[in-house]
Amino acid sequence: MKTKAARICAIAFAAYLILGALFYLVAGDSLRSTESLGDSVANKSTTGELHQGDVLMQKFVCEYDELTQIQLLVGTNARKNNDVLTVKLFDENGEEELFSIEKSTADLQDNNWMTVNEFEPIDDAKDRVFVLRIESKEGKAKNAISFYCGNTVDTGRFSIKTQVENTEGVALYDSGSQKESILADEEKTPYRLCMKVGGTDYHLVGQYFWLIYGIVAILFLLYLIRQVICHRKGKKTLTLSIVASFSKYNFLIRQLVARDFKTKYKRSVLGMFWSFLNPLLTMSIQYVVFSTFFKSDIPNFIIYLLCGIICFNFFNEATSMCLMSILGNSSLINKVYVPKYIYPFSRTLSSCVNLLLSLVPLLIMLIITGTFVSPAALLLPFPLIMLFLLSYGVGLILATMMVFFRDTQFLWNIFSMLLMYLTPIFYPDTIIPAYFMPIYRLNPLYHVIEFIREILMYKQAPEPSAYLWCTVLCVIPFLIGALVFRKNEDKFVLNL
Amino acid sequence: MMIKADNITVCYKMPHDKIQSIKEYMVALMKKKLKYEQFRALHGVSFEIKKGEVIGIVGSNGAGKSTLLKVISGILRPTEGSVSLGGNVVPMLELGSGFDFDLSGRENIFLNGAILGYSEGFLKEKYDDIVAFSELGDFINIPVRNYSSGMIMRLAFSIASQVVPDILIVDEILAVGDAAFQEKSYARMVELMGHGTTVLLVSHNIDQIRRLCDRVIWLDHGEVKDIGETQKICDAYMQTQIR
Repeated sequence: MKTKAARICAIAFAAYLILGALFYLVAGDSLRSTESLGDSVANKSTTGELHQGDVLMQKFVCEYDELTQIQLLVGTNARKNNDVLTVKLFDENGEEELFSIEKSTADLQDNNWMTVNEFEPIDDAKDRVFVLRIESKEGKAKNAISFYCGNTVDTGRFSIKTQVENTEGVALYDSGSQKESILADEEKTPYRLCMKVGGTDYHLVGQYFWLIYGIVAILFLLYLIRQVICHRKGKKTLTLSIVASFSKYNFLIRQLVARDFKTKYKRSVLGMFWSFLNPLLTMSIQYVVFSTFFKSDIPNFIIYLLCGIICFNFFNEATSMCLMSILGNSSLINKVYVPKYIYPFSRTLSSCVNLLLSLVPLLIMLIITGTFVSPAALLLPFPLIMLFLLSYGVGLILATMMVFFRDTQFLWNIFSMLLMYLTPIFYPDTIIPAYFMPIYRLNPLYHVIEFIREILMYKQAPEPSAYLWCTVLCVIPFLIGALVFRKNEDKFVLNL
Repeated sequence: MMIKADNITVCYKMPHDKIQSIKEYMVALMKKKLKYEQFRALHGVSFEIKKGEVIGIVGSNGAGKSTLLKVISGILRPTEGSVSLGGNVVPMLELGSGFDFDLSGRENIFLNGAILGYSEGFLKEKYDDIVAFSELGDFINIPVRNYSSGMIMRLAFSIASQVVPDILIVDEILAVGDAAFQEKSYARMVELMGHGTTVLLVSHNIDQIRRLCDRVIWLDHGEVKDIGETQKICDAYMQTQIR
């Protein structure tokens, strides 16, 4: 028994070392830095052809740690223009020249983005103001390009235009008059160039990954050693009693999960095949509805939908099963002593079996749609564990409430429907108005589902903040649930 | 000392009307009618039981017998006082309450056994004994919902009586099945008691208590009226019952 504890600790430590290193291998790049490309204003007007000597000046603020590229929307009037542009970047006061590039306009396509990235990335660029200066060297009438500009941004897929506020417009210096004019519409709202600023953000977590890894390894090792020593001395710690309780009731938990699973499909013809079929059928219906009646322009919509449905179904099933777990087992709770957390736990676990089964159709659809999987998919256990903690935590709260107030089940039905619409299952999160986003972001399911989509659909490891959001928003409900349950479990018997 | 009960008090907070919905609760709260009545199911119960003793608990209805058994088996936490136990407890309170009626007898043996705290290896080893003792034969493979109530009781008793626990808690279960099975289960109980198991027995059958018990605890309105030698207490108890 004593050597067994030491062995388990050794295994746990080795698992940490291996998993940590593996994690860095899969997600390391995303941990170090994130590449992003900002949004542009919607094109509304043009600057007009840029003739020899004409100069465009646009002030902008960089949102990234490092400025790596600038994209500009150009108009060529559908012809080949043999002009050369001098693109320069200055600091705020226009004194220091940061780069100067000559761009030929010959290869530009009409209504397309011209990428300027032939410069050394400019670091320490966060929140700095830059001035972009574009001058035409050889532009002549009918042989020059123009740039698009506008003063609104698109929000959501319905292209609602919002005015851009507090911005400096694009200034045009006409070569003939050498006079500055700010382009603007009739209401004197200045236009900005249609440009996307691209950059790289660096994350401390990624840069100091090995340091953090090492520190955590040492702390973890010390912690494990303490547990082993306590175990030898026969002292009780929280971890030891949790582990002891789980190994003691391991057989019971397995039996309860098996019971749930057997009785669920007991008298149905297709049996556990329903676990595969259910998400597929839900997906088919929603796919038909949202790809024909309500047009949706999400790429790879099938996978998008399926990720959302599987996660939400699990959450919904687990929480409503937990809801009844105490009340439904009242005859047992009144007769035999078993730690009460076992009941909601086994219910969540049996929903988990269902979730794992429904990952099979997801995998099949990934292959059919040609999305396939990438190494990033190895991160899948993380959002699933978080989802499990969230569902178990909420389930504990609901099971407790249900004992004291039988209205809980009806309230929860309504609430889970509300939650379904507040989760981007069949719509993209971009349709949510910006002012509502801070509240919208508090939905843990949103982060879990987006995390899964990121690794399965976009095949990249999410940035560090995604892990943080997921962990914080899922662990907090879990802790609250555990606390609420623990405080009230002794009163259950009296209220059943 | 196998069981040491120290000043156990169990209070129920009983609202006048059973409030079970938020609406009712709010209404009651508004009207300030949310009054509770303190109901003492047990009050200052103390006793000590030595290893291997067979203790009978007698008392009229509502005296707190079942509550006491629940406290000792850990189902109910006392409001005050404490219980310390010197071994594992197998409660035989209302047999068969852990059965799932959609599962077969075989599956229920494992489920119920797990609930009673048996290990997997132990159940596999004892599986044949359980089936043989229950006399269910081939019925073991059909769902329990098709069993007669006697069959359910037989199976439940067979599972519960497999293990020789340190403490056995029995609440009126010696009348299980037909006459032949009753005799068999009675013999099994006596056998269990012979193994040095401490037994707590609640029964309204005074003859049974007289035959089996070493000592008797007499509960009355949640308090211990008397503890002592079986025949003496039983006589005194019967006196109050006749009146």
